[in-house]
Amino acid sequence: MRPTDLVRGAADDVATVARGWRWGRRPLVPRSAAAHQLATANPPFPTAWARKAAAVAVRDAVQAGVMGPLVRAEVATSVSGTDVLTGLRPPVLFVSNHASHLDTLLVLTALPAPWRRRTAVAAAADYFFDTWWRAASSALVFNAFPIERRSGQLETTPGDLLAQGWNLVVFPEGTRSTDGWMGRFRLGAAYLATRHQVPVVPVAIRGSYAAMPRGRGWPLPGRPPVSIRFGPAVHPGATETPREMAPRLESAVAALLDEDASTWWQARQRLAAGGTPAASGPAVAQWRRVWESSRLPEQPRTRRAWAARGR
Amino acid sequence: MSRAGFVLEVDDRTPPLVVHEGEGFRLETFPAGTRVVYPPESLPGLADVDAAIRTALLEPTGAEPLPALLRPGMRLTIAFDDVSLPLPPMRAPDVRQRVIEAVLTLAAAAGVDDVAIVAANALHRRMTEAELRHVVGERVFRSFFGEGLLTNHDAEDPDQLVHIGLTERGEDVEINRRAAESDLLVYVNVNLVAMDGGHKSVPVGLASYKSLKHHHNTHTMVASRSFMDHTASALHSSAWRMGRLLADHLKIFTIETTLNNDVFPSPYTFLQKREWEWNVRDQASMLAARRGLAVAPNRVRHSMFHSIRSAYGVTGVSAGEVEAVHEQTLARVHRQQLVEVDGQSDVLVLGVPYLGPYNVNSVMNPILAMCMGLGYYFNSYRGRPVVREGGAIILYHPVPREFNQLHHPSYVDFFEEVLAETTDPATLEAKFEEQYATDPWYIHLYRTSHAYHGVHPFYMWYWGAHAMDHAGDIVWVGADRSTVARMGFRAASTLADALEMVSGSVGRTPSITVLHNPPHLLADVR
Repeated sequence: MRPTDLVRGAADDVATVARGWRWGRRPLVPRSAAAHQLATANPPFPTAWARKAAAVAVRDAVQAGVMGPLVRAEVATSVSGTDVLTGLRPPVLFVSNHASHLDTLLVLTALPAPWRRRTAVAAAADYFFDTWWRAASSALVFNAFPIERRSGQLETTPGDLLAQGWNLVVFPEGTRSTDGWMGRFRLGAAYLATRHQVPVVPVAIRGSYAAMPRGRGWPLPGRPPVSIRFGPAVHPGATETPREMAPRLESAVAALLDEDASTWWQARQRLAAGGTPAASGPAVAQWRRVWESSRLPEQPRTRRAWAARGR
Repeated sequence: MSRAGFVLEVDDRTPPLVVHEGEGFRLETFPAGTRVVYPPESLPGLADVDAAIRTALLEPTGAEPLPALLRPGMRLTIAFDDVSLPLPPMRAPDVRQRVIEAVLTLAAAAGVDDVAIVAANALHRRMTEAELRHVVGERVFRSFFGEGLLTNHDAEDPDQLVHIGLTERGEDVEINRRAAESDLLVYVNVNLVAMDGGHKSVPVGLASYKSLKHHHNTHTMVASRSFMDHTASALHSSAWRMGRLLADHLKIFTIETTLNNDVFPSPYTFLQKREWEWNVRDQASMLAARRGLAVAPNRVRHSMFHSIRSAYGVTGVSAGEVEAVHEQTLARVHRQQLVEVDGQSDVLVLGVPYLGPYNVNSVMNPILAMCMGLGYYFNSYRGRPVVREGGAIILYHPVPREFNQLHHPSYVDFFEEVLAETTDPATLEAKFEEQYATDPWYIHLYRTSHAYHGVHPFYMWYWGAHAMDHAGDIVWVGADRSTVARMGFRAASTLADALEMVSGSVGRTPSITVLHNPPHLLADVR
């Protein structure tokens, strides 16, 4: 065998492995093998460094100087309700519906700077902490810490962070919505709130699914509109159980979504009458659910003060 | 915890998969939708094998405890499975050594003096001294070999054979005289696959050609569906009849052992992991192995593979009456190897590795490659063949025209003379078998050298008879064209070419199933 053939063979082999085993990217499991996978027993990625003063300063600069302008350049954000934070003191839980990778960024960039600096994000260990570079960048830029969706050891528990005075962003659905509608809230957020007696600020995000659904790595062109609405804090009762509180959180987010789609007054009336539209969407064919969710929300209209009626 | 076997369906997330091809392997990208059958992961081995052996001997199934069968003045023979098992050979100490030592310890305690140990090699080649020492261990070897009491079975020594009788079907039962005339025959087995063990041990391993030809023939092979399931195998039915006849004449205490699937030791462990679970180290090991094999001369490549000694775990030991023991053994083998497969497919893909039962420390010649693929791997099913009748079989192996003159002299003549005239199993059986079986030179080499018996290549060809009868097309990927053409098959350069070649019988979009072995698996086709 000639030396050139050897080199070519080696290069071909390396290229085959790099492509087949997705070097530098998330390893994938064949769909039919997913049910046969063992839970990973990798040691948890350390993130304590990302909450030190230097990392906070870097993150603040990145979020305020890069991520915020970038988000606003790509999507037309509309933030409302941040005044609910007045009178609250960290730590709190921000609990939101979840339909897009944009959501974390939207919530963080919508928060007032002092709140944002003290906020960490619970992120799926199997997704955001699967490669070293993804883990490090998630921890640095988003102050993300890994949580296991199946089971496994944690370096830092959410309770530890609350005890240290960090606010947490939690998406209680556990994963992004597949059709844009809100899924059932798991008990994790309610458990944290009741266990540590911290208030929960509901957050409703509309339009992120239409702007950047699953499968897209960048928002649609044309600055699609996205609204982020914060609601009044929900306080856990002294003896309230997570199972009792979780539906309250779900209702609070659903009412906020309703409010965002109509007006505060109309939403309150429907809430009082028990007629808040289900955030889980209508029971119709899947394509209709996706069709509806992928419709861009109406642009917020600014009514001109002196507009003549009937024109 | 060991995971069960399963059937992968290749999709866009599936990395290239390992396919063995002789003394090497390739990474193959299969069409989307291809089913790949993965064996169960290796079961944990017993923590204390010696204790399990002791328990099996003292609390046997369907028989008295071994110490109760031993007495001074008795004649005791211990027979054991030969070098063809397990594959690859087991890292020392071999489980047969442990069992034989335990039996001899009890025999010594009982004051038994007349003990002989026989390798049950039937018409296989005689084991060398080194091979015997490896299997039985230094202590046993030193005590018995020099005295001429540790020997290979000689199926061509009329003085050392005894005709026991005929079965109800008129089958001759003729076995080793020393074993037949003992007060107790202890048989020590390694039940690597479901085909082994049971009544296939004594009536086959210690038999003569006269006895073996009743079940080692084209008719029984085609009628065995498959020979990995003794309840549906004509070969095993014959052996069972012989075994039951023997049981009326001879006290047999059988000890069967089962191994887990730890076939590939470091640095080859990646070969028994599921590819999408390969970590960086596995990928690096695979690349290093591929590059090493690419630059290594044939001799080095051969040595790299044939020096593999597997660190098997022993999953169980059963002792006592043959059939009762074998039921327990099969349950353990099935737990380690059985995988449910839903329905047959149009195409079966098999990677033929470097080693089969008959080329340990030797060369896998073209006939043995055929036997490994179309014999052992094709028949690794229970219920129905993995491929439908009239479907295609695609095998990977270079099939070089290489023969080991010491081990396989009759194979050379079989390849050059017999296959040049016919490849039809029934025709060559009728026309040539007797001539090769009784050839004095082959018999001489079998008895005095380390040659397989003259008839052995015929048996290998019969081993593949069921597959040849069942499949519409057989194509070898990466094989020497003229060599496979001599055997009546066709060669292709790539899988895509092979699929193109078989499209006449299975169409352009056939269903494909790949058996991802080794390690061993048994497809339970529903």
